[in-house]
Amino acid sequence: MKATPLTPVLRLSEIEKVYQTRDIETVALNRVNLTIYKGEFVSIMGPSGCGKSTLLSLMGLLDEPTSGTIEVNSRPVESYSDKELAGLRNLKIGFVFQSYHLINDLTVLDNVELPLLYRPGIGGKERRQRALEALDKVGLSARTGHFPSQLSGGQRQRVAIARALIGRPEIILADEPTGNLDSVMGEEIMALLLGLNQQEGTTIVMVTHDEQQARQTERLIRLFDGSQVG
Amino acid sequence: MIRHLFTLIWNRRRANFLLVTEILLAFVVLFAVGSLLVYNQQNYRSPLGFEYGQVWRVTIDPGSQPEAERTATLQQVVQRLQSIPGVQYLAYITSNTPFSGNSSNTDISRTKKEGASIGVNVYGMGDDMAKVLGLSIAQGRWFDKRDDAGTRPPILLSQDAQEALFPQQSAVGQLVYNNGGEYQVVGVVPNFRADGDLASPKPAIFRRMSLQDSSFAKLSSFVSGFRLLVRVQPGAGAALERQMNTEITAIGKGWKVGITPLSKQRAAQLKKVLTPIVAMVLSCVFLVVNVALGLFGVLWQTINQRRSEIGLRRAMGASAGAISGQVVGEILVVTTFGLVLGLGVAAQFPLLGVLGVSVGVYLTAMVLATGLIYALTAICALYPSRLAAGIHPAVALREE
Repeated sequence: MKATPLTPVLRLSEIEKVYQTRDIETVALNRVNLTIYKGEFVSIMGPSGCGKSTLLSLMGLLDEPTSGTIEVNSRPVESYSDKELAGLRNLKIGFVFQSYHLINDLTVLDNVELPLLYRPGIGGKERRQRALEALDKVGLSARTGHFPSQLSGGQRQRVAIARALIGRPEIILADEPTGNLDSVMGEEIMALLLGLNQQEGTTIVMVTHDEQQARQTERLIRLFDGSQVG
Repeated sequence: MIRHLFTLIWNRRRANFLLVTEILLAFVVLFAVGSLLVYNQQNYRSPLGFEYGQVWRVTIDPGSQPEAERTATLQQVVQRLQSIPGVQYLAYITSNTPFSGNSSNTDISRTKKEGASIGVNVYGMGDDMAKVLGLSIAQGRWFDKRDDAGTRPPILLSQDAQEALFPQQSAVGQLVYNNGGEYQVVGVVPNFRADGDLASPKPAIFRRMSLQDSSFAKLSSFVSGFRLLVRVQPGAGAALERQMNTEITAIGKGWKVGITPLSKQRAAQLKKVLTPIVAMVLSCVFLVVNVALGLFGVLWQTINQRRSEIGLRRAMGASAGAISGQVVGEILVVTTFGLVLGLGVAAQFPLLGVLGVSVGVYLTAMVLATGLIYALTAICALYPSRLAAGIHPAVALREE
């Protein structure tokens, strides 16, 4: 089931990201080169403020680099319009956040359906069907009508993972997905991500502070002061 | 997406309750004022049924002259006025002259029995009044010498009175009854709206006023003095007015005379009627501006509270335009909830037949108020929607 990690899904070349305020210039990323291959499970580690989340935002096309090139499926995205980038995010990328980012006023099912709302050509019936399938994968079929506030942290993160899966993206970007969970729930989520990677071949890039979790992934990228050190 | 918006707003119904209430109240006020404006506008567009240009109202107060002498003097005055070159036609009229604000009401029926009567405005008018006011005759004729020999007093009906009393048939030659008296219908004129441009049409009857008529004195002294309407030649002005005044007071010693063009009376009446309407409209505008500012503030605040949700939606594939559309869409959905309730309230007016206003007036006001509220809320949402679209997703996602 596992794909051979040879096809590049995402390539970052000579990426620099500088935050400029009136008085201070902060270099968040400095000449980062990175390629993510299809089917890989890559973890990114580093101390707080080293640029991990910035890197993930750039990989997720949520931000633009100050210089350098980002390629998705070997196509540079720098000339893409806002609408084209949004479409690309919707089709190719799934996001999992540390704080889940679920919409509290929507049920579990409605939350999971969210990415497909922005994909043309998918009707309500198919959306619902795919949401149920995604929730089944994360073991939350019995919680479809619940609201996020009625769920535990681990369950919320499972919902977030189901939401990332529903669009069948080429890559899932997870920003400290176990950061808000206790060790038991953290292990559950890690096991879920590993299962998705190993059994379904989902490409995953995960930012983590946890060495033990990082060791479970195939490749570890270390950042320090905005530079890639390993 | 529409279903998603409805789900979202419904799930946030407690948070949106005040907004929905505000929109409901704004709609009800707009509907009320809209109904008033539509009603008045429809009346304004309806023909008055007469021509008031070049028509002057002459009011004569005979003062202390004995009543027995008044009729003879008035006859002389009328003959003298008719001989003035600038005067085309003149005729007597009761005190409820057009645009005067005076009215005289009665009930008439087709039978002597009570119960089948309709309420009408009653006017007493002289033989030449059709020429003075340019009245067109829909059926039959206006009063003339033939009526001197009539066995029953002649009467004319307005079109709406005819339709109420003699639907689908001619009224000419028919008998009608008023206060025990029996009258013969000699003609029908189009709807007559002497109460003014904004007044609703009301059925009217016209009774003959003639110096030979024994009821003349009664009709004319109902309110002290006599009234004449005079059609003058185009271009006639102050010189003719002075001449008429001089001629009248030369014959009627001690008589007091007032001459006012009907156009001037119409303008004065319109101003009087419009003043409270304008005040009401201004109050409504003030309210709408307040509602708009309130909506704008709430939306602005909501956008700031929902930055992380907006960031999330951008990450899930929403473009800036989609976010902007969602903000406008959400407020339109909230507006729809408010309007559904508001329309439910407004629908009671035509259903219950309140105020006797036609259903069309209420329906037009509903459409106008609905359109206005939608436009208002969409405009209020435009700037906050742009703010939302400008939120940087990477920054917003890190803020929580």
